[in-house]
Amino acid sequence: MTAIRSRLSIPAEPTVRVALGAVSVLTMLLVVGLLTGGIGPAYLLYLLGLSGMYVLLAIGLNVQWGYTGMINFSVAAFFGLGAYGSAILTASNTPTGLSLSPLVGLVVGVGLAAVVAVLIAVPTLRLSADYLAIATLGLAEVVRIIIQNQRAVTNGNAGLRGLPKFSEGWPLLGGFPTGAPTVTLSEITLGPFTLLGFRLGRPVWQGLLDLSVVVVMILVVYALVRRLHRSPWGRVLRTIRSDEELAKALGKPTFRHKMEAFVLGSVIMAVAGVYYAHLNLFVTPQNLAPINTFYVWIAVILGGAGSNRGAVFGGFMIIAIREGTRFLRELLPQQLGSGGAVTDLYTTVIGNFGATRLLAVGLLIVLVIRIRPEGVLPPRSELIWPETREEPDE
Amino acid sequence: MSILEYLANGLVFSSIIVLSGVGLSLIYSIASFANFAHGDTMTVGAYGALVSFGAVGSMGGLLFGLPYGFYVALAAGALLAALVAVITQRLVYEPLEIGSIGLLITSIGIAFVYRALIQLGFGTDGRRYAVPAMRPVEWLVPVGIRITVQEIAIVAFAAVFVVALHLVLTRTLLGQMMRAMADDASLARVSGVRTSRIKLWTWVLGAGLAGAGGVFLGLYNQIEPRMGFNILLVVFAAVILGGIGSVYGAMLGGFLIGMVDQLMPVLGDIGIPIGTEYSYAVAFLIMVGVLLARPSGIAGTTER
Repeated sequence: MTAIRSRLSIPAEPTVRVALGAVSVLTMLLVVGLLTGGIGPAYLLYLLGLSGMYVLLAIGLNVQWGYTGMINFSVAAFFGLGAYGSAILTASNTPTGLSLSPLVGLVVGVGLAAVVAVLIAVPTLRLSADYLAIATLGLAEVVRIIIQNQRAVTNGNAGLRGLPKFSEGWPLLGGFPTGAPTVTLSEITLGPFTLLGFRLGRPVWQGLLDLSVVVVMILVVYALVRRLHRSPWGRVLRTIRSDEELAKALGKPTFRHKMEAFVLGSVIMAVAGVYYAHLNLFVTPQNLAPINTFYVWIAVILGGAGSNRGAVFGGFMIIAIREGTRFLRELLPQQLGSGGAVTDLYTTVIGNFGATRLLAVGLLIVLVIRIRPEGVLPPRSELIWPETREEPDE
Repeated sequence: MSILEYLANGLVFSSIIVLSGVGLSLIYSIASFANFAHGDTMTVGAYGALVSFGAVGSMGGLLFGLPYGFYVALAAGALLAALVAVITQRLVYEPLEIGSIGLLITSIGIAFVYRALIQLGFGTDGRRYAVPAMRPVEWLVPVGIRITVQEIAIVAFAAVFVVALHLVLTRTLLGQMMRAMADDASLARVSGVRTSRIKLWTWVLGAGLAGAGGVFLGLYNQIEPRMGFNILLVVFAAVILGGIGSVYGAMLGGFLIGMVDQLMPVLGDIGIPIGTEYSYAVAFLIMVGVLLARPSGIAGTTER
């Protein structure tokens, strides 16, 4: 009985309830939006795919910051290397003139990120934390400046477009979006509301396929990272996080461990970048802007550093913040009241939504650190081997 | 362009980097974290001067090619930057019980808040101060230097501010207490230094200098919400080159990085094929190189 109660009490942990509450409210909003026609089904699937991409990025950063305590401000660079590594080989307007399969792009993008990760890690990982932050941000800018200016390879600011979908050319699945039948869901009138009334055609099936690709990626990466985190290797990383000198004194090659964690995290970010390139079908140097690095940081801090489920939660919340503010702008009236300071302020806030979002992001960073520096879902049970627990765990 | 002119331009750009870098280094040594909101503090100063210059007008005559009103605006911009920084310190940084990394991440959030508020108030378009356009100083043109009186004023004022800071640090009780805190905060505290008050003064000086640097940056280029964040890493590069936490190192580092930035075209002239669009990238690579070879910087003494 006590065993059952203690197991039941796990979801009752207040922050888990907050997280579950946030997720269910979001899901409800999305379902309502879908049913009432506020969000097209293809766009909803695109958003979910983007969320999956952020989940991957957050897991990658979590390996570096959450497990090992290495500050990496070059997330956007590794994301961009993955995206560009694949796009250069596959895009229709690429200066290289190649049109290879995205699977080749995945291998090349990941390989490129791994090589650059080693190049960045060798000089910087010996630095103390705040120097590491500045150095990685500087090197990320170097990568961005190179991609922006090497027009002969990257097409510069115009970006690369006309990329193939990830699944293009796969046996069976590649033809699924065109082959699947178009289903029309007829409108239902329920009192004052009109529900449904959209077609499930090719874009929806394609979106579903894209989403499945990222879900598979997340499952593989999550399982790998979870297993590694529990292994002796992960234990050394946690020791480095809390006291690197101690790890050294125990005879652990800390530099090698940090290097491995840095490369692993960067490779996961590059996978997210490759996925993004073939989801969005368009990449520009703007994708490597530092702000994108900080979005991923917010995801990890909000979710809880070192916590895998926190990274997943944080990844979803970022899309909720980024895209949610956009929906809010469409939902809110363009004007409030008539005249006066409040109306002016309201018009300014609604009229500059980019700035309003930046303000929200800034305040969120400050508030999370102020109120809950350990994040919403701090690491707890994932550090314990299932067999060593008192209660059995299915 | 002649090499002398590149050097002259380098001197102007260096002056701006030095002003900002000295403030960043001061805050790093006493508040003990890398302040990522420092660039946006510069932006606050630039916009503060823009508003106050609009309010006071030109106020009559010109001094160094700049209206009297501009100097009032310069002071107002620097004061506003200092005020905003002090409020942030009291409201946000002081109550946090968290290490330097937590403060660093918080300062990124603060940087976003500053920039977002400026965008909300002024939009994203670039602006310029309403100062008269100047022709290059005539007696310098034959030597091969085309530089305006206003640009010379930037260099002169940067020099005055830096000397003033040097005097504050070496000749006043406040400066002694600040240096004591930078050496060992707890030792300073048990010796009777009111550390939280000294910290506030550090923010006043550091952010005030950043604000002045922002005003000059706006005068040199143009005023836009991203101006500070865009230059922040260059300032960090300068500060690290000189030795982070060392005010005098920041002066030297700022001078060198500003020169490197403006001398990039010379590399092309002497046959090294690297475009000016890579000038920031070169500055960042120098920074990483310094971190590797000599983490304490060229003038730093503190062991890290």
